[in-house]
Amino acid sequence: MQLRTDLQTREEQAAYLAEALAGLFEGAAQPSPIRGGRRAALRRLRAFNVQHYARTRNDVVQRGVSLLSPYIRHGVLTLAEVRDSILSRFGHTPDTEKFVNELAWRAFWQLVYAHLGDRIHQDIEPAKYRTRVPRRLLPPEVMSATTGLVCIDESLRELYTTGYMHNHARMWVAAYLQHWLGVDWREGADLFYRHLLDGDPASNSLSWQWVGSTFSHKPYIFNRQNVERFSAGTYCARCPLAHNGSCPFDDSYENLAWRLFGVSLAELEGRR
Amino acid sequence: MNGVIVWLHGDSLSPTDPALLANPGAPAIFIFDEPFLAAAQLSFKRLFFLYECALEAIAGRNGSIRRGVVVDEVRAFAAEHQASTVHVTDSVAPRFQQYVAELQTTGLQVVIHHPPTFVSWRGEPPRRFSAFWRRVAEEALRPGSTGPELPSEEVE
Ligand SMILES: Cc1cc2nc3c(=O)[nH]c(=O)nc-3n(C[C@H](O)[C@H](O)[C@H](O)COP(=O)(O)OP(=O)(O)OC[C@H]3O[C@@H](n4cnc5c(N)ncnc54)[C@H](O)[C@@H]3O)c2cc1C
Repeated sequence: MQLRTDLQTREEQAAYLAEALAGLFEGAAQPSPIRGGRRAALRRLRAFNVQHYARTRNDVVQRGVSLLSPYIRHGVLTLAEVRDSILSRFGHTPDTEKFVNELAWRAFWQLVYAHLGDRIHQDIEPAKYRTRVPRRLLPPEVMSATTGLVCIDESLRELYTTGYMHNHARMWVAAYLQHWLGVDWREGADLFYRHLLDGDPASNSLSWQWVGSTFSHKPYIFNRQNVERFSAGTYCARCPLAHNGSCPFDDSYENLAWRLFGVSLAELEGRR
Repeated sequence: MNGVIVWLHGDSLSPTDPALLANPGAPAIFIFDEPFLAAAQLSFKRLFFLYECALEAIAGRNGSIRRGVVVDEVRAFAAEHQASTVHVTDSVAPRFQQYVAELQTTGLQVVIHHPPTFVSWRGEPPRRFSAFWRRVAEEALRPGSTGPELPSEEVE
């Protein structure tokens, strides 16, 4: 079936596409505020200021990140183009070098994918430690972004409405789902893949395995302090669970290692 | 039957796709992969993003966006344009490799183009990023050009 290519406004295009692709998508026929296409990609590249990237890239509020991932994932911009543009405009600095290092993560995952093919969707290595929490299916409150945890719900809501989630928030959500809730990483990866505009088999599945320790030395965990620090305190300030003592992340790493995995932090980190 | 078509897919959906650039006048096609998408049930946002990318990629040429079985649609498009050769840009996705193999068995010639490399690594990577980075950092940090021309502020 041939699709129309003559519609001018985004509204017309969205209404039309919803009909033309009926049966092939899930949920509301709402486009992301993030625009597709090379022109939008170049505008984003021009707007991105890499200064302070190293210091602010992990902050989910400050967001010193490029937001280029949907374009890079679909080949609208190549890694080489982005690297060349940033280095030629900003020179060699700790910020630009950190940025190129992050670009290299994508190149790395692609090479692993080229080598392993669809095996990236299975455990690549045995998990170094598995959560003690019993296995369960993806709970409905994750699907509806109503877990009650502001850091998790805000991240999921952004994913569902825009198709983007900040890298640090992806790490929190992936760790929460796997280690605190006992959800299989493939289910979490599937949820991300359905929504992320940059959803990529390699970057997505391999990052989930990195968090779970089936493709890394240790499971990634975080605590409330980490959320406070990298959201300028804004999430916890608004979170009822942070005030009534029931935040599941409000603990030391040592205690979390025991609670979640039944081992000391030193063991979890492979230091013993 | 000596015409050429360009097949665009979701890993290279740009007017600067190397297969497109190598064939300035050639008709181009992008296909929403019906069996794959019916099973995957992605969000509409993703599909709309692809549509916007595809519209811009084929703008100004004899282009077509379709919904269907990829190999069947590429073959039909080639036949419509008396083409025996399909130009396409490489992808590491196993599904891509499978479609290329299927196209070849139907007698079409498939020419594969490569995007500019970020690092020239070939073959099996190490198990950890840190080991990879140690070996590629120098090359990765060496720009190959000054990058694409960026739009001026007024364009917006
Ligand atoms: C659980 C989980 C799932 C993820 N799934 C995906 C995915 O499906 N697709 C995807 O592109 N990225 C994925 N990432 C990696 C990373 O979160 C995103 O690439 C990044 O958030 C994109 O935002 P940005 O463009 O603003 O990043 P920036 O910090 O500006 O980085 C620039 C570019 O470098 C690349 N990059 C940066 N960090 C990574 C990384 N850790 N892994 C791979 N590439 C990276 C991306 O292409 C990105 O656009 C995932 C990470 C986690 C923890």
